[in-house]
Amino acid sequence: MSNFTIPVGPLNVALEEPMYFKVDVHGETVSHVDIHAGHVHRGIEYLVTKRNVFQNLVLTERICSLCSNSHPQAYAMAIEQIAGLTVPPRAEYMRVIADEIKRVASHLFNVGVLAHLVGFESLFMQVMEVREMMQDVKESMFGNRMDLGAHVIGGVRFDINDESIEYLRAQLDRIAPAVAEITHIYNTNGSILGRTRGIGVLSHADAVDCSVVGPVARASGINYDVRVKAPYSAYDRLEVPVHVLPDGDVWSRAMIRLQEVATAIDILRQCLADLPGGPTSCTAERPSIPVGEAIGKCEAPRGELIYYVRMTDSPKPERVKWRVPSFMNWDALTFMMKGAKIADIAIIVNSIDPCISCTER
Amino acid sequence: MNYVKTLIRNLIRGPSTVAYPFGPAWTPVHFRGRVEFKLSSCTACRACEQVCAPGAIRFDKTPEGLRFMLWHNTCVFCGLCEYYCPTDAIRQTDDWHMAHATANQYQMAIREVIPYVSCSACGTKALASAPNPVGVIPPFSAEEIEQQRNLCPGCRKTALAERGVTK
Repeated sequence: MSNFTIPVGPLNVALEEPMYFKVDVHGETVSHVDIHAGHVHRGIEYLVTKRNVFQNLVLTERICSLCSNSHPQAYAMAIEQIAGLTVPPRAEYMRVIADEIKRVASHLFNVGVLAHLVGFESLFMQVMEVREMMQDVKESMFGNRMDLGAHVIGGVRFDINDESIEYLRAQLDRIAPAVAEITHIYNTNGSILGRTRGIGVLSHADAVDCSVVGPVARASGINYDVRVKAPYSAYDRLEVPVHVLPDGDVWSRAMIRLQEVATAIDILRQCLADLPGGPTSCTAERPSIPVGEAIGKCEAPRGELIYYVRMTDSPKPERVKWRVPSFMNWDALTFMMKGAKIADIAIIVNSIDPCISCTER
Repeated sequence: MNYVKTLIRNLIRGPSTVAYPFGPAWTPVHFRGRVEFKLSSCTACRACEQVCAPGAIRFDKTPEGLRFMLWHNTCVFCGLCEYYCPTDAIRQTDDWHMAHATANQYQMAIREVIPYVSCSACGTKALASAPNPVGVIPPFSAEEIEQQRNLCPGCRKTALAERGVTK
């Protein structure tokens, strides 16, 4: 057997986003992986410093479509800390609702793409159809399929009435059994198990070394979830179970996501049951933001998202820096791919749910 | 085996896609689509211009008055303008039919002018914008809005003080 170097990406049918892997292979087995980034760099960190605090709510939302709720949320949390604003209780619950709705859709998308990469197209369609129910929820409640536009500085800018609560409850009742059915398929189907079990293993020790976050960490036995470790919004008043699996393979990561979808549906139901009354924002006008710096962090669907904001006396932030979960997770790919087969590369890359547009911004 | 069940269910249920443009497409009530501007309610506070992230909204001074301009093709439908508008002057409709020929791209904009008037009290040139309703209790009546519209900023303040405003 001879050694080759093969390129995977940046444009490759199996990759969802542009990322370039230079893979050294020995026969059909991966011996070394080089990751090259920078194909979707748009200079957003610079653009953020050219726009005022309120415009940036929209700009940060458009960094990435799948975590488009988490970015403005972490950003708004940092700004609220600087300005000393207290988000009203109703708005805190509404933020959780927006967050969990996005989590359900994001996780189902990733799990669906896994089925597509395995070659199980009919399962892919089935998962995407279930996700479509959540897309309908987003469109009905927020007015857009991806960019919810849920946050403002000091609260949220959507409100829900009894009618939309009924609608959301009915949709959740439709989605929950469908997710249970999908979970059963991923648990038992031979094609899925054969392509995902024992593939792309990230051991607990390697996971700690790489500081991975989110479902990737939890699938390698690391019990870490920002919603529990450093509760924000209304998470301290809700029951949020953290799912952990010990194996660290592609299947475990998919199962963690499916379990989190079920949990998110449960959290949504808790929110609807406990939803307090009152205002949805602490101020209807544009609050003035004083000089200061702050950090906001939240659990995006892919893991811990941290925002650092520094304000001077200008209405534009002097510096906004964010650390996205995929930045920590893609380094672990070199460990996951060691000894893997060429055919499994795409499945392993998808299993960390890479968000290149967040990471390279 | 469990997949056979899904297959049969899908055969009975039929396709989940819609037949648009040959059939109707579902549009939710709260859909954030094309922006609509109501000149008579605009207070010329320019909050929408300041929060508009892509810079789709612009105000220009013209000889006739203050011109409001919004480019639909630059708008990202975020809805911040509607949220921060103190009146109902700017709002998003559920209209998503925005496809147009390239030849018409410069018509894809709202251009409306808030005209200058001479103040009915002192005769100074002033903008005929709607009064800002923030903090005005009880709210302006329709006649009061029309009276305020024809006053300059100074005379508006005087009129408001005479009327009595509780914050």
